[in-house]
Amino acid sequence: MQTVERPAVPVWTRWFVAAFLTLFAVCGVAGIEAWPLTGWRLFADARQPVQVAWQAVTVDAAGHETPVPFRDLPAGFHGNVQVLKGFAALGAGEQAAVCRAWADAVRARGGQVEAVRVYRTVTDVSRRVGDRGAPPAREMRFTCGGPGGSRSEGVASRSTRDGGVAPA
Amino acid sequence: MRRPEGALARAEAWLFAPGDPRRLAALRIGLGTVLALRLATGPYLELARQPAALFRPISFLRLLHAMPPPAVVVALQVAATAAAVLAVAGVAARITLPLAWAGALPLVAMTSSLGKVVHNDVLLLLSLAPLLPARTADAWSPAARRRRAGAPPGRSVPYGWPVRTAMLVVAGAYFFTGLGKLLHAGPAWVTSGNLRWVLYASSDQAPLPNHAALFVADRPWLAHLVALATLVLELGFPLVLLRPRAGLVLVPCVLAMHAGIWVAMGLNYWPMAATVVLVLVDWAALADFYSHFRRLKKNHRPTPDSTISPSAQA
Repeated sequence: MQTVERPAVPVWTRWFVAAFLTLFAVCGVAGIEAWPLTGWRLFADARQPVQVAWQAVTVDAAGHETPVPFRDLPAGFHGNVQVLKGFAALGAGEQAAVCRAWADAVRARGGQVEAVRVYRTVTDVSRRVGDRGAPPAREMRFTCGGPGGSRSEGVASRSTRDGGVAPA
Repeated sequence: MRRPEGALARAEAWLFAPGDPRRLAALRIGLGTVLALRLATGPYLELARQPAALFRPISFLRLLHAMPPPAVVVALQVAATAAAVLAVAGVAARITLPLAWAGALPLVAMTSSLGKVVHNDVLLLLSLAPLLPARTADAWSPAARRRRAGAPPGRSVPYGWPVRTAMLVVAGAYFFTGLGKLLHAGPAWVTSGNLRWVLYASSDQAPLPNHAALFVADRPWLAHLVALATLVLELGFPLVLLRPRAGLVLVPCVLAMHAGIWVAMGLNYWPMAATVVLVLVDWAALADFYSHFRRLKKNHRPTPDSTISPSAQA
């Protein structure tokens, strides 16, 4: 039979526990991100069937487009969704640096890259074609690089619905 | 006015009630093992080589203009992993566990510095936080074994609050996750096609269609049911604190939820699921049950007389 000791709880313990739990609860209720404290926003928004996304592709010398294979690139490149989402808000120099990073990573895998293009895609996931969603509508928004060297510029919108090649 | 004060006093009495040193030691061993595994296998060196243009820092990493350099990351990873292993073994745990936790902080922050908060290790880090100043090695450690000449430490206040604080964190994490859904999406999280669109989009982004995701998404009634069950489970999870027996249902349900997310969306939340089990299972009670079972088995070891069945005796 084990004995039960009941020493008084030290003041520092009470303060530590109270402060820790208060911060944890405030961040949880208010959705504040103060990492490692977090607002626990996991799939918190209600998704709609029509979803806007972004796609980056590389262009080779023949003008063929290939989606940047982010899944196959090292872990440091896996934030593509968030980087692309904020791409429009970046300065021209920052956009060029992002494109250069992607282009260098694709070249390191043996790919040929003359330019990087960024498309805005609109997908209606409720429109199904077999096990897949219908191809998204694409609109080219940015292009970097090309014969003039690495640069970033907004270009005239150009849409396709077939997901095929859309040269600048 | 009396009722909230009474509830607060009851909560305080629960939080600071005496606890079993073995349960606290079990948290040190279990959570420390998960931390050591994460530290040893995390993609920190790959992240350290990230081009600066792709760096999207969170929290204190905003002080840097790029990921920490590879040499620093490797040194930190080796030191933090070693400290975590020593903490698990119970060697100088009051020093090694805080060292492992402090070393893990910048490394884990790197995984969330790609533009999105990754919650996988957050619950583990937060559940470990109350253990940092606690006497986690008074049982199930080399020092405790050396003390065996005297009586083992009994239930005491210093062993209770770290475990119960970690329990509050685990229960709160799921509750706040559910609350976030209610606050941001409202009932539409369940009543709209939300889960169907999430699953379709996830499957469409994968190299091959995910048939588990499509099975649910193709059946609107099933998608609503799964969404409702998820929300009820998350909001109701704090019941494990009020009714420990509810854990027998709620903990397996949470494990099933994480398994379902992994199968349908390829998102592996095993550190979060492991933290739930490690924090909410009463390992000291299980150890007592096991010892009792072994004693019973030993006492009922078959003897020539006891092998005779009652029918034969009759």
